[in-house]
Amino acid sequence: MEVMMKSSKFILMVAVAALSLFAVLNVFRNGEAETSQKPLPSVSAIDSTKCIAPASFMRANHMQVLHAWEKSVVREGDRVHIAANGSRFQKSLGTCLGCHNNRLFCFNCHSYANVKPKCWNCHLSPMETP
Amino acid sequence: MMNEQRREFIKKTALGVFAGLGVASGLVPAFSLEKTALPVWDEKPVPGKIRWGMVIDTRQCKEGCQQCVTACHHEHNVPAFKNRKEEIRWIWKNSYKNVFPTATNSAVSKEIQNRSFLSLCNHCADSPCTQICPTGATFKRWDGIVEIDYHRCVGCRFCIPACPYGSLSFNWQDPRTAIVDPVTAYPTREQGVVEKCNFCSDRLVKGLLPACVDACPEQAFTFGDMNDPVSDIRVVLESNVTMQRKPELGTKPSVFYII
Repeated sequence: MEVMMKSSKFILMVAVAALSLFAVLNVFRNGEAETSQKPLPSVSAIDSTKCIAPASFMRANHMQVLHAWEKSVVREGDRVHIAANGSRFQKSLGTCLGCHNNRLFCFNCHSYANVKPKCWNCHLSPMETP
Repeated sequence: MMNEQRREFIKKTALGVFAGLGVASGLVPAFSLEKTALPVWDEKPVPGKIRWGMVIDTRQCKEGCQQCVTACHHEHNVPAFKNRKEEIRWIWKNSYKNVFPTATNSAVSKEIQNRSFLSLCNHCADSPCTQICPTGATFKRWDGIVEIDYHRCVGCRFCIPACPYGSLSFNWQDPRTAIVDPVTAYPTREQGVVEKCNFCSDRLVKGLLPACVDACPEQAFTFGDMNDPVSDIRVVLESNVTMQRKPELGTKPSVFYII
């Protein structure tokens, strides 16, 4: 009996994990559809019409990218990011959010995953912008 | 079976919530953030090539004028706490006695004693605050600016007594509650970090002069690269007798005063 209980619990846990993964991916897909449908803002001198890296990479590594940007801008003054395809970006939260201009772009997933990055303690959150 | 139904319910609810959020967010128009533009210096800077400096002609500084202070504090979202203990200052007016406490000239005219002198971070070449900072948050930049990396500051406040000029202020409470007219182009600070004048590194990168220099109606400031022999600041420094604050400490300040 106990073994059965254990296995059913295990199945339940796997199911919950699969469900959460599915839901998270769905959120990203939703975000993608948003950005591809909207006309992207044109910024002179900067080619921000393409992402700095493939979406799959950014999903997993955006925090490392942002940390590396922060470090190189603040500590070394190197403010220009050159993507693999040669397009240039200013290393700034504004560069990301200028394209990903869905107000909930960060919050949807962070609230789901219950992670609380401290970016908006100082930087202007998209939720606070006019 | 029970679990199966529950699972379905949770799944549908979660998807419904996310779909709703997506729709709502699609309806919200694009917002105004900090503008993205390439910096004036495209290349990675060479450490030590530039050393920013400032000369303040105190003869031009008018009594009662606060335009540089207001411009600086507005531009950088500096909170206006009234309580002296919690006050945050990047630049402020001070008396001769407080700015040059170790000056040995005993016969200073009444006019100079009553004149106001601007106090700000001196961006010392040999800065005690960067040497004492345990996390490397306060650091010497490639262009001579002493900058605080607010991402790294842990709020230990060692730098405050280390600075011989009292240039640093600590955020005892959330500064956002006391910002009078917030600007969106520059971030705020958070509770528990130290802050000070950054020599407008945010404006320099856009090719602008510091906010105080731009705001002064009397052109009392000269700002420039002290390593460039033909810069305005070098001309002013070479043609005037200037004073630095507490030069005997060997901090080598980058702010000079014409008395």
